[in-house]
Amino acid sequence: MDRITPRQALRMVVIAATALCFLMPLYWLTISALRPEADIFRFLNPFGPWTLIPNQLTADNIVGLWSGSFSRAIVNSIVVALVTVIAGLMVCASAAFALAVIEFPGRGVVFTTMIVSFLIPFDAIAVPLYSIMRGFNLQNSYAGLVLPGIGNGLAVFLLRQFFQGIPKELREAAMVDGMGWFRIFWSIYLPLSRPALVSAALIMFIFQWQAYLWPLLIAPSNDMKVAAVALAQFSSAYNVSFGLIFAGAAFLSLIPMLIFVFFQQYFTSSVAATGSKE
Amino acid sequence: MTRWSNIRVAALFLLPAVVSVVLLRLWPAAIAVHQSLLAPRASSYSLENYLYIFTDPSFLNSVWVTLLFSFIINPLQIAAALGLAILFNNKLPMTGFWRTAVLLPVAIPQSVSAVIWAVAYRPDGLLNSLLQLVGIGPQRFVTSPEQALGSIMLVVSWIGVGYWMTMLIAGLQDIPKSLYESATIDGANGWHKFWYVTLPQLRRPLTFVLVADTVANFLVFAPVNILTGGGPQGSTDLIMNQIYTNAFVNGDQGSAAAATVVLVALVLVIVLIQFRLMGDGSER
Amino acid sequence: MHIIKSGTLVGLTAMFLSSTAGLAMAEPVTINFLTAEADGSFDAAIAAFEAENPDIKVNFETVPFDSMVPTIESRVGGKDSSLDLFLVDTPRVPAMANSGYLRDISDRLGAVEAVASEAAQSVLKYNGTLYALPLWTSTQLMYYNKDLFDAAGIAYPSSDAAARMTYDETVALARQVMAGSDAKYGFVPEQIDRYYQLQPIFEGNGGGTGLTGEGNLTPDVANDKWIAAGKFYSSLFEDGLAPRGIAVDQMQSVFTSGETVFYVTGPWRLKAFDEATNLNFGLAPIPYWTDSKAQTPTDSWAVGISPYAAHPEAALKFAEFITLNPAGVGLVLESIPNVPVNQQAYGPYIDWLAGENPAVGDDLKKIMTYELADTPVPRPRSIGYVAFETVLNRAFSDIRNGSDVASTLQQAQQQLGSQLRRIQ
Repeated sequence: MDRITPRQALRMVVIAATALCFLMPLYWLTISALRPEADIFRFLNPFGPWTLIPNQLTADNIVGLWSGSFSRAIVNSIVVALVTVIAGLMVCASAAFALAVIEFPGRGVVFTTMIVSFLIPFDAIAVPLYSIMRGFNLQNSYAGLVLPGIGNGLAVFLLRQFFQGIPKELREAAMVDGMGWFRIFWSIYLPLSRPALVSAALIMFIFQWQAYLWPLLIAPSNDMKVAAVALAQFSSAYNVSFGLIFAGAAFLSLIPMLIFVFFQQYFTSSVAATGSKE
Repeated sequence: MTRWSNIRVAALFLLPAVVSVVLLRLWPAAIAVHQSLLAPRASSYSLENYLYIFTDPSFLNSVWVTLLFSFIINPLQIAAALGLAILFNNKLPMTGFWRTAVLLPVAIPQSVSAVIWAVAYRPDGLLNSLLQLVGIGPQRFVTSPEQALGSIMLVVSWIGVGYWMTMLIAGLQDIPKSLYESATIDGANGWHKFWYVTLPQLRRPLTFVLVADTVANFLVFAPVNILTGGGPQGSTDLIMNQIYTNAFVNGDQGSAAAATVVLVALVLVIVLIQFRLMGDGSER
Repeated sequence: MHIIKSGTLVGLTAMFLSSTAGLAMAEPVTINFLTAEADGSFDAAIAAFEAENPDIKVNFETVPFDSMVPTIESRVGGKDSSLDLFLVDTPRVPAMANSGYLRDISDRLGAVEAVASEAAQSVLKYNGTLYALPLWTSTQLMYYNKDLFDAAGIAYPSSDAAARMTYDETVALARQVMAGSDAKYGFVPEQIDRYYQLQPIFEGNGGGTGLTGEGNLTPDVANDKWIAAGKFYSSLFEDGLAPRGIAVDQMQSVFTSGETVFYVTGPWRLKAFDEATNLNFGLAPIPYWTDSKAQTPTDSWAVGISPYAAHPEAALKFAEFITLNPAGVGLVLESIPNVPVNQQAYGPYIDWLAGENPAVGDDLKKIMTYELADTPVPRPRSIGYVAFETVLNRAFSDIRNGSDVASTLQQAQQQLGSQLRRIQ
């Protein structure tokens, strides 16, 4: 690393300050999870030393969180999200490739179908979808949770946008070399689109991580519950346990944080490095 | 190779996605359209549900609120996401971590995000105590018809801007360095580089973010449901809130389905206009 | 301790029974039971039931409270046979029965009549048909902060029904206490914009429930008495006696923090208030209007059977065990101490509850017993109740935030008119 110029140092400060603004609510969430339940709303106003620093720390909420079925639900959420991302990337990337690169009659219709599919509010069709999935006997199964996340029109759209940016000349040269469509897809388009693939993976991950109504309907059994549903369960008709909810939410953001930080390294450019983009 | 001979290979690439989209999105959507055409207790098709929602002042108000919300929040969010993407697109130490921090809010269940902000917006809450520190009097936030929609926008942006920023950084990473280098040689300043290199090169990712963000903002629901329930005086009553209330609180599936169809039609029109404006849809 | 002991005992019995019975029995049927209660809250009752009925297994499913309605809409509405029985919020019984979401269980009417009061029975029926079995009911108490009264040097309010204060007296007293102490709020109803808790303020003022006519399908929420009640309710916030902008589920923090004089909520908050440090509280009956009779909110969850249940007989058997059988009712109460409808279970219940809260035990028993017997007024019976409640709760919320009372209620009246016409 070269020496940091004053200009760069200033930029680092601005970046850190901006990010801290985004982190503030999460910070409050986390310290609330470490507070006794009764203290959570106690020091809000007027602003004082205990507003942002817990005067008393407790592990009760965290212990309480793991004593129930929440740990199982976290595992379910991770499995569902990972399977969705892996299967979804294959399905969506190949569809996006066909839509961006291969010329065929009806391409516009298929593309419009993909666009329309993500305009439909998923929650609004959850009830009819539930009766369809019940017909296939997919209640309380990973398949029932994963399947609606795989064919993601938004991810197809994103990947198509990026695939279109890869110069035509590359595939024309490959064709001259006798490469088939599949080889072109696998050995040229996918490796050149790493940032886009990571973004598409993020879209599918968030879809499943945020999913609430659908898992609630299709997988209500205790073994199959996902984390977002298990978390909501800490507010019952007569009592809302903010300590447990905040502790659970802190964990629900910790896991993606670890994943995101890990994937940062794949987020760097590939095309730009080769300078081959038009 | 002709267009027609490509159709078989294209079909192979498309099959899994098309099957899942048709089966798991369009088919249930078709069932919803069917429901929207069935009046309560009726067995033949009619437009009664549509007539009902279009004579219901609260639904008409929600269409207006949704459009207002959309016209304000989309440009703001996209500008913010673009600004953040440019700011965060560098190799300085720690940037990767800070980027993750900005992205993180999207990973928390929206219901929890809404609860955190509900605490911030309380009259005796964190925001008012912070404002008091800098000498500004207490604000009413979600309890005031003038401030409530803006307060919802802030929450939704806190959740989503990092997400769109991430998508745009992926686009920025794809811009060849050589373009900036030659621009520098030509004597371009920072603003020129942004206008003549970054923006044109970012057209496709920007189209994506514009369309996807617009759609996402039309489908905002949890923060409204938890923070305001559509009030005060209907000032935050987005169409999604109407749909949810009708379908899942009042058990009126017919009018909820009709409202869904109206919402999708509305979004579709706006998205088509956006595609036109961004000059997309055709092969380059 | 008590719970653990009985749980072990029941567990052992269950093991014994199932090991002997298993030899002769065919494959047990499994029934699915949907609630909005915490994990494990029915475990003791389920274990005891399964011990008595080795051929039935009960699978306890729970969804978050707010998601109960969507779940039932999609599962029962979708004719899902994998849901056998579920908890029902009683004001929803007419609408659910009308949509065909509840099985007719009129043949159990005799058994229900034996344990439930007439008022409690009425909420389980629609058009004379019995659709649900009675589980819990509810009432409201006015909690007050003793330290604030002490600071102001004012005597505590009485817990006698005969000395019940009017709304005006309550507010006047709250103001006095506020003036003499550092109290922030004077009179806060917890469910601050929900019909359940506001019914005594509005209907209690003599203007009717808000619904009239055949089948209770005509709105009447903008009459003079309602507007007068609305003005009183509005003034609570305008004058700073109650807070704006705090969500219902965070509301209790204004009482546990010791800054509120009077706080109205159910007995289910006793535990949290007991545990709060620096909070000394007492109990009084909720206020009434000078010219009218006192009334209190009531009702809670009941148990309904799905018309599409795969095993309706087994489901009914379990439903009877947790509602009609005092032993079963008792086992449920151990983990969810709501007020049982079952009159045989009420006596032991209230003694236990009073014993758990020794500081206010005597007043608690006295107030709850007469409120549940003398003053409960159920919410109106109508297939349009849910729409009614949704529209009104929004109107209440708007009034709370400062909207003009008369025009808000007139708007609600119009909106209800068109929504209820659609239901008819």
